[in-house]
Order: sequence, then C-alpha cells, then structure tokens
Amino acid sequence: MINHQNINRDNPINYREVLERIGGDTEFLEDLLKIYFLEFEEKRAQIEDALQGADFNLIQELGHSLKGSSANLSLPSLRRDASALEIAGREKNIDRARQALSSLIAECLALHDFLEQNPPQAQIV
Amino acid sequence: MNQEPREKMSVLIAEDDVISSKILERNLEDWGYGVVLARHGEKAWQALQNPAFRMAILDWIMPGMDGPEICAKIRRRKKFQYTYIILLSAKDRKRDIIAGLSSGADDYMTKPVNYLELRARLRTGRRIIDLEDKLLATQKQLKDLASRDSLTKLWNRAETLRFLDEEADRSRREGKSVGVIMIDIDYFKEINDRLGHQAGDQALLRVVHRVKRSVRSSDRVGRYGGDEIIIILPDCDNGRIQKIADRLRRAVGGRRMKCNSRTLRTTISVGCAVATEMTDSRTLIRRADAALLQAKARGRNCIAVHGISANPGKE
Repeated sequence: MINHQNINRDNPINYREVLERIGGDTEFLEDLLKIYFLEFEEKRAQIEDALQGADFNLIQELGHSLKGSSANLSLPSLRRDASALEIAGREKNIDRARQALSSLIAECLALHDFLEQNPPQAQIV
Repeated sequence: MNQEPREKMSVLIAEDDVISSKILERNLEDWGYGVVLARHGEKAWQALQNPAFRMAILDWIMPGMDGPEICAKIRRRKKFQYTYIILLSAKDRKRDIIAGLSSGADDYMTKPVNYLELRARLRTGRRIIDLEDKLLATQKQLKDLASRDSLTKLWNRAETLRFLDEEADRSRREGKSVGVIMIDIDYFKEINDRLGHQAGDQALLRVVHRVKRSVRSSDRVGRYGGDEIIIILPDCDNGRIQKIADRLRRAVGGRRMKCNSRTLRTTISVGCAVATEMTDSRTLIRRADAALLQAKARGRNCIAVHGISANPGKE
C-alpha cells in the first residue's frame, strides 16, 4: 500500500506514479535511484566537458538521455531541466545549456535531500 | 482476453537507458516473458539473428543503430518468421509516430511508458504472432497435401519430377551425377484381384516402408503412379545405384510381409539410370523406365541398369 499523504505534486519525485510503474516495489525503486545518481554524476562530468568543447550534439544527446531516465523515475523538475538542456544543445545556445546544467545539479541535490527525509521504504504503510 | 503468454515468449529489449531497460525487464518478466537486454543498436541487431525472438521492444535513439534502422532491416529479411516490433520514443509528434511506423514497427509508444498499456499491447502482438503461426502451419499442411501422395505419404509424381529437374540442373552445373530408380511391385494386380484393394494398399505401404529404410535421407522417394515407386538419388554413379537397387530388392523380397491378416512374399523389379552431364530429366526417367521393363522381361525380382547388360540382382 502506498502512503498517499506523502505524495505532493511539488515533490521532486512522484512516488505514486513511479511505484505504479514498477508494481509498488520500493526496494527496486531504491536500486533504480542509486543507479540514477551514479549515472547523473557520470553524465554531469560529460556535460561539463561538452560545454567546454561546445559539443552541442553531445549536450543534446546527454540532455535527451537524462530526460528519459528522469521521466521513468517520475522526477518532474529534473525532467524539465534535462529537456531544457536538450533544447539548448539543439539550438546551440551555450548560455542556456549552462543554466540548464546548474538547475539540474540543484534539482538533483534537492532530490537527494528529499529522499533522505522521505525514503521509498517510508511510502509503504 | 486477459491471458498472459501460454509459453514463455522471448522478447528482445533494445534500450540504452539503464533505468528504462531495468523497469521494462522487471515488468516483462513479471508478466511471464523471457527477456534479453541489448543496450546498443548493433548488439540488438545481432541478437535478433536468433529466430527465438518473435517480439522486440526497440528504443528509437540508441548508439550504433537506431530503432527505425533496425525495424527496416528486420522487414527486409526474407527467411525469418514475423517479428512483432514495438518502437519506444520520447518523440511524440505525429510526424515522428508516422516515421516510426513507416520504418516497419507494428506499434509505437511514447515515453515514459504506461505499463498497463504496454502489457495490453504485448498481448496484441502475441495474438498476431499466434495468428501468423497458425497461417504458416495451414500453409504447410496445404503444401503437403498438394505435394504428397495421400496413401503412402511419399512425394507425389509432380513433386518428384520437380525434384528431379532441380537435381538434373544441379548435376549439370556441378558436374555430378544423379540417379533414378524405378520400382514396380511384382504381380501387384494379382494381390489386388485375389486379396482385395485393401490388401493391395497394405502391401504397397509395407514395400514403401522397406524402401524408405534402405535409402539415404538425401534421396527422394516418390510415388510415380499405381504401384510404381521412383527414387531420385543425388550424387550417384552406376556402381552405387546398382548396389542400392540390389539392397532395395533384398529389403523388400527378403522377408515375408503381413497384409490383411495374410502373409505374403512380395518382390520388386527395379530399373535404374544415371544421368550424364547432358542428360535431361525426361530422358533419365525414360531410361529408368526402360530398364524396369527389362528387369520385368528377365523374369521379375531383379534389377536392370540402363546401359549395363549384366543382370547382377537375380536370385
């Protein structure tokens, strides 16, 4: 059973949606979130390199990839920022790309803090 | 219809995103599918060379080869059974959906995937594959009906002649010889007249059984008509055909056979011919037929080989 009191549209994660997607398995969600954070760190370094080299194709590609994994885990803010990064890459707009990356990093930290206070396991009543 | 797969169907998931692929894998396994993951387009294409994958879920954007490219390659191949493809993409514009389906995908879903919907769409795919399998099985049955003799289940005359044409062409191309053996059951009319047609049918079936056990799997055995059996023997010279013919004669006539509660000793006459490089299939049959008449004229239960005057097979 999912604790619906913990679901808030402004939360960095939509627990109800993501748990529906994976059959309510909170342990599996924890594993997926660990993978997400590891991948995020890897991609963040790649995005910084791509920004340095003005490699817009790579920026677009990495933005697209982060958008997909954020959407799969129902992380709306991260999805929005990843989409902004993808668009900035497509439009070859370096300032917007930098801005999108900063926002992504901030949102990722916010997600991390939120999960410490509201871990997936706590969603089961 | 709310049934999950009756047999575990293998599904290839081609998705470079780790999280998406893990969720897909988990859900499909829960629904009873066998899942193999590929995170690279080329790897996915390699995996799809295995005919066990009748269903594939392909991401649009992947390193190496993208989803639509794999779809197009799958549709271009001829010898495989149908592969049902669901294309996944974050691209949700109409023109993207049209382009994805035009590349050869059967279905298109936008990301993030709604898993209840995916489950239902996979069932649809399964139904289509089941229908295709039934269609192919019916097609095979019809082909068998059109090419097999209904009593003996041997190849019928038309099909046997088609094999012979192919073999004669091949022997000309490759410089190899092809042999034809014609068999006639001795005094078959008397069996029918004395014991009835059912006994005649049984005698024919017993002879066919013994003949089939005495030839190679690469040799084609057909019913030429009535009690005449024809065998096409690829890569066979005069010496070899003579040995095989005598083996057949002994296999049939060496032991008595039970027909309609009676025990008979049935013998066969055998005519053989081997094609040279220039012999066409009709000439080859004519020569084997002439050799068969020769064997009968010599008193039956013997073999005759076209172009060889000796009579090695008479007991």
